[in-house]
Amino acid sequence: MTTATSTEQEHDLDLERGCYVYGVVPFGDELVPPGMTGLGEAPVRLVRYDDIAAVVSDVTPDRPLGRATDLVAHSEVLDALAGLTTVVPVHFGSVLADEDSVVQDVLAPGREEFADLLAELEGRVQLNLRATYVEDAVLAEVVAADPQVAALRARTRDLPEDESYGERVRLGELVARALEHKREEDTAVLMDAVTPRVAAWVERGGGGGIDHVVDVALLVDTANLASFEEFLEGLAEAVHERIRLRLVGPVAPYDFVGGAGWA
Amino acid sequence: MAVATQGTARNYLQRAPSPSGLADVIEIILDKGIVIDAYVRVSLVGIELLTIDARIVIASVDTYLRFAEATNRLDLYEKGKDLGEFIGDMQEGGASKKTSGAVKGVKRAISGGGDDEERRPARKSSSRRRSTEDA
Repeated sequence: MTTATSTEQEHDLDLERGCYVYGVVPFGDELVPPGMTGLGEAPVRLVRYDDIAAVVSDVTPDRPLGRATDLVAHSEVLDALAGLTTVVPVHFGSVLADEDSVVQDVLAPGREEFADLLAELEGRVQLNLRATYVEDAVLAEVVAADPQVAALRARTRDLPEDESYGERVRLGELVARALEHKREEDTAVLMDAVTPRVAAWVERGGGGGIDHVVDVALLVDTANLASFEEFLEGLAEAVHERIRLRLVGPVAPYDFVGGAGWA
Repeated sequence: MAVATQGTARNYLQRAPSPSGLADVIEIILDKGIVIDAYVRVSLVGIELLTIDARIVIASVDTYLRFAEATNRLDLYEKGKDLGEFIGDMQEGGASKKTSGAVKGVKRAISGGGDDEERRPARKSSSRRRSTEDA
């Protein structure tokens, strides 16, 4: 496996202490609950600029961040804040030199964009919905629908692999293609049912398993949360013989802050 | 998969109110969030490798063999139905009142009802940023 999509590791070793940035919120007194801690159990605090604030904690960059506990801490701080206010999550692992730098390099130049994003996200939370196939059910559909698949399956089933290699590859290719087609159809049906009920949605990367159908981030009005979950419960029940639905959240709106795009 | 078998429990929807475990967390936060001009930007080389590995589907002979194997492993022939039929079944069958209310909503959405033009385009959040970062 290559490292093609990993970013460069940049460590400024001169930095003895840094300011780890979790996200940006509308400024508010007493917004951060007393005792809230982040990476390395350091206290979480706000750095204010005008009517927005960065959520930060001190970090010692003498060790590489990115341990399991660091990731979990990042996620817990942001999700907890998302339950209290509107938050624009910042990419994991972003450390600035000090509070001045947080203001001058992030908050001041980004003030308008942060304010716009915060306004757009206000009163909304993210839910992650994943649909996966009940594998045996859909494979049985594929076998039943395509005589060629059924024939290949019957022929290769009890043969040793090396005697049926070519036919097995052909069988797998047909099944993969059929599943891809099903996936598109089922995704369209699910999304047509779900998306009119959400403020915005983004299809996420998703898994590559046989059972993968679709993985989406949904931005939902907090006021509609309960009825939306009730709706999804009904949808899950309606499709449960061949599709499983898993819902995670509410979480911070990680997938809905891409528009501002200053990289 | 949880199946509602008793009482009024209807837990067909697998529900995690917050990310459960590191795998969830990685999946949710990895490569997400606004990219700021930071002095230190940590990359998660090791963790990314695992995740990427799990995500990639390579249209290769190996993949096809995996699909073939899964198909050969099947014991049962079941008559396939499409999603619409299932939803139809639910309406005619013994679904609870609450459920059929929800399912009618699904049905309406599926059968058109002018929803097509409301379908919003997916807001791409990470792909462009990722390519910028990598450049």
